[in-house]
Amino acid sequence: MTKVVIDPITRIEGHLRITVEVENGKVKDAWNTCTLFRGFEIFMENIDPRDTWHYAQRICGVCPNPHALNSATAAERAMGVATVPDNARLVRNMLDATQLGYDSILWFYILNAFDYVNVPDILNAKTTDPELMAIQAQVKAQATSGEVNFLSNHYWGHPGYVLSPEANLTLTAHYLQAIDAQQAANQACAVIAGKFPMIMTMAAGGITQLPNEPDVNYYLDRMGIVKEFTENVMWPDLLAVAGAYPELATFGKGVGNFLTWGLLDEKGQLPENRLFPRGGIFGGQLKVEKVDPAEARLYTQHSYYEDDMGKGQKPFDVGQKAIKFDGYPPIDGPDFPTGKYDWTRAARYPSPAGKDVPMEVGPLAEILVAYVSGQKDVVKYVDEVLAAIGMTGKPEVLVSNLGRVAARVVKARINCDYAAQWGMDLLANIKAGDTTCFTEPNLMAEGEGISGYDAPRGALSHYCRVKGGKTVKYAAVPASNWNLAPRDDMGVRGPVEEALVGTPVADPTQPLEILRTVHTFDP
Amino acid sequence: MPDNERPSPVRGLSRRDFLKYSSFLAALIGAGPLGATKVAEAIEAATKFPIVVWSDFQECLGCTIALLQATAPTPAQLILQQISLAYNEAAMAPAGFDAEKSFNQAFDQGAYWVIEGSIPEKIPGSIAIGGKYAGDIAKEFYPKAKGVIAIGSCACFGNVQAHVPNPTGAMGVGAWLRGPGGIPNAQVVNLPRCPGHGDDLVATLIYIIVMGKLPDLDHAGRPLFLYGQTIHDTCERRAHFEAGEFVEQFGDEGSQKRWCFYKVGCKGPATYAPCAINRWNGRTSWCIHAGPCTGCSEDNFWNDFSPLREPLPNIPVPAIQGVSAQNIGLGLAAVTGVGLAAHLVGQTVSGRLFKGGPNGNGESHPQAEKKDGDQK
Repeated sequence: MTKVVIDPITRIEGHLRITVEVENGKVKDAWNTCTLFRGFEIFMENIDPRDTWHYAQRICGVCPNPHALNSATAAERAMGVATVPDNARLVRNMLDATQLGYDSILWFYILNAFDYVNVPDILNAKTTDPELMAIQAQVKAQATSGEVNFLSNHYWGHPGYVLSPEANLTLTAHYLQAIDAQQAANQACAVIAGKFPMIMTMAAGGITQLPNEPDVNYYLDRMGIVKEFTENVMWPDLLAVAGAYPELATFGKGVGNFLTWGLLDEKGQLPENRLFPRGGIFGGQLKVEKVDPAEARLYTQHSYYEDDMGKGQKPFDVGQKAIKFDGYPPIDGPDFPTGKYDWTRAARYPSPAGKDVPMEVGPLAEILVAYVSGQKDVVKYVDEVLAAIGMTGKPEVLVSNLGRVAARVVKARINCDYAAQWGMDLLANIKAGDTTCFTEPNLMAEGEGISGYDAPRGALSHYCRVKGGKTVKYAAVPASNWNLAPRDDMGVRGPVEEALVGTPVADPTQPLEILRTVHTFDP
Repeated sequence: MPDNERPSPVRGLSRRDFLKYSSFLAALIGAGPLGATKVAEAIEAATKFPIVVWSDFQECLGCTIALLQATAPTPAQLILQQISLAYNEAAMAPAGFDAEKSFNQAFDQGAYWVIEGSIPEKIPGSIAIGGKYAGDIAKEFYPKAKGVIAIGSCACFGNVQAHVPNPTGAMGVGAWLRGPGGIPNAQVVNLPRCPGHGDDLVATLIYIIVMGKLPDLDHAGRPLFLYGQTIHDTCERRAHFEAGEFVEQFGDEGSQKRWCFYKVGCKGPATYAPCAINRWNGRTSWCIHAGPCTGCSEDNFWNDFSPLREPLPNIPVPAIQGVSAQNIGLGLAAVTGVGLAAHLVGQTVSGRLFKGGPNGNGESHPQAEKKDGDQK
């Protein structure tokens, strides 16, 4: 039995430690520990509900747009605005499209590629292409400078890297192109919303102003670049990586329960009628159940809060105030975490059998729910992936690390296919004389608002209670509360912990496979 | 070999492109046309890549994402041709102990240290890396760094998590280092905005490396070459303010005509930042293109400027024209506290709005009261 601790897990959004127990070359048990706390639910109490979205988008600088959207929606519902003008819906979709486009590229290349692409090996590649030779020269200059750089000290000699030097070089070149492509998506965001990250055009009640025609045209131009990159570079790279690493389909299964609140509103703004529909899958059954963000449950026995704060209560009834932090489990030494070990609260959802169970959230959940629901774009792209890896008719292989990697790219492609349509619809509305985009909410209303709308890394819900022109209660249940949940009061592991169990570890001093499994969740 | 064919010290660039690039960098750091030669010489003289460590404390990663949007130079040029990025949790290959090894090696080899995120004083364990608390890491490695730059409003001032009641006791890196048990003369260059701007960071790094010293800073530790003017001074909607043309409600006719956002909460008159100058996302746009400024480059703006939807009090709004400079300065001082007042009163209420303000020189450049101690 070997204890392996990775802290920090790098190439992710937050601060994370993973502790695993390795036995006979496989992970036997696992614990995840988020090592960052800021207390949003505490300091967002007592603020102007028209401003919540400004605060909330600072929860995540990688995915501020869906936080802004959920927060504005929860606040406007609490203040009596049930739906926003259709132009505001279109602009919100357009902004989310830029978010999804950029984030998919960011994740696939910058956060994930080094798990499969051996960068130093590109020096062995034979090429006559001047651009590729320039990249070789630059990497060589860094590698031979004698100075530590961002490629130093990694497990490059690990036998898990199997691509040829030429394939590594091509993918490294795509890594660098990806930086430009993600910038294009964010330029599309900025022309509508001022800047990215931290957008400026959201408002409780709609948006601050309608983009004009030049804005939309620039948006369409930039999103065209993103679409082209997604189709012609990222898609073939996905198929190449999936083909070269067939073991991706063999581990990282997880808890077998999947949850999505849905995303990208259609006309009418009904949550059950979204481009990616809302729904839950329980116990590996390929059947979609109805779900509701009001029914999320939180547990805190293994989180750094008082035990009785979360014993299966709903988010409105749980806060972050009763903090109980007395240090992290020691990294050295033989012991594994037992008591409290995570700042994340364990989010659970009542299964049809009436038990609160852990749920995996994220693109895989969205794609599975949409696939089972028969969403035609999802079926088309998923079938293409399955055919490319020789698994036609076997969507169940997606419940693995492979599925998580592929689902992100499938989602990005569908998103890019629709972005232009929303822009064209907006231009048509403006030309037809419809320029409404904002409804002033009733600041002095008394009420509650709940919004569930998925972020790039999965289910996200915001909860806002308003009275006397102030928020009197604010709660957010982000994807981390689901995927990076610690054990709950019943002792059940969270999704990342469960997915790690069974992950092979060839060399505990170079736990590359653990990074691969953790990174598939885009934590 | 013709002169412009000589290999460039910046790999991947021709000699001609390199000189063009040097001029561009010189302009960016305010070094002017003569500075271009100096910039080129300094880069040529450098035999090593400057080593940069980027740490994440209490943050949302927004500043890292903003750096990925930098265009001067691009992130790819930066990490392959300009610097050795020794440590950055979002981009680096290694993890865990191996990442920590890079961190230590970088400081042994002489690193500049860029910090994103605040340091919690009340619950020190609310941010830990490799089991070590951020506050302890800051104190241990500050003396080893060649210079410390706080990127974004969290690392500068605590930002959103420092909003009342500030549950974790979040504070800026400089204030933490100079606090009890710390390093009294610790000097940190602050590059606030939310997120921090990648081009500001590149410009400041280049300034420090080329000039061999820190830039002149204002009272809040911000380089004057970047933070010398208000949003209001440089705003593209300023003419509408002067003309008394305002957005009265989001989405109204005024908003479609892109009139002034002051009445729906714009904090531009009280906010020092170069947003209108270098804009965002490859200079595509900036906040005012889409909505009112929130004042994110100012210390304590969440507390001082809330509710963000309401106008700043005590700003005389021109019906057509004619405002008293003194009134604006005093009004803002009352609203936003001593730090901002020091920046504003008698120094900044000038420029285009108040030709011949209290200083009588029409300059909008605040002469900094340096409280950050000696240059490191």
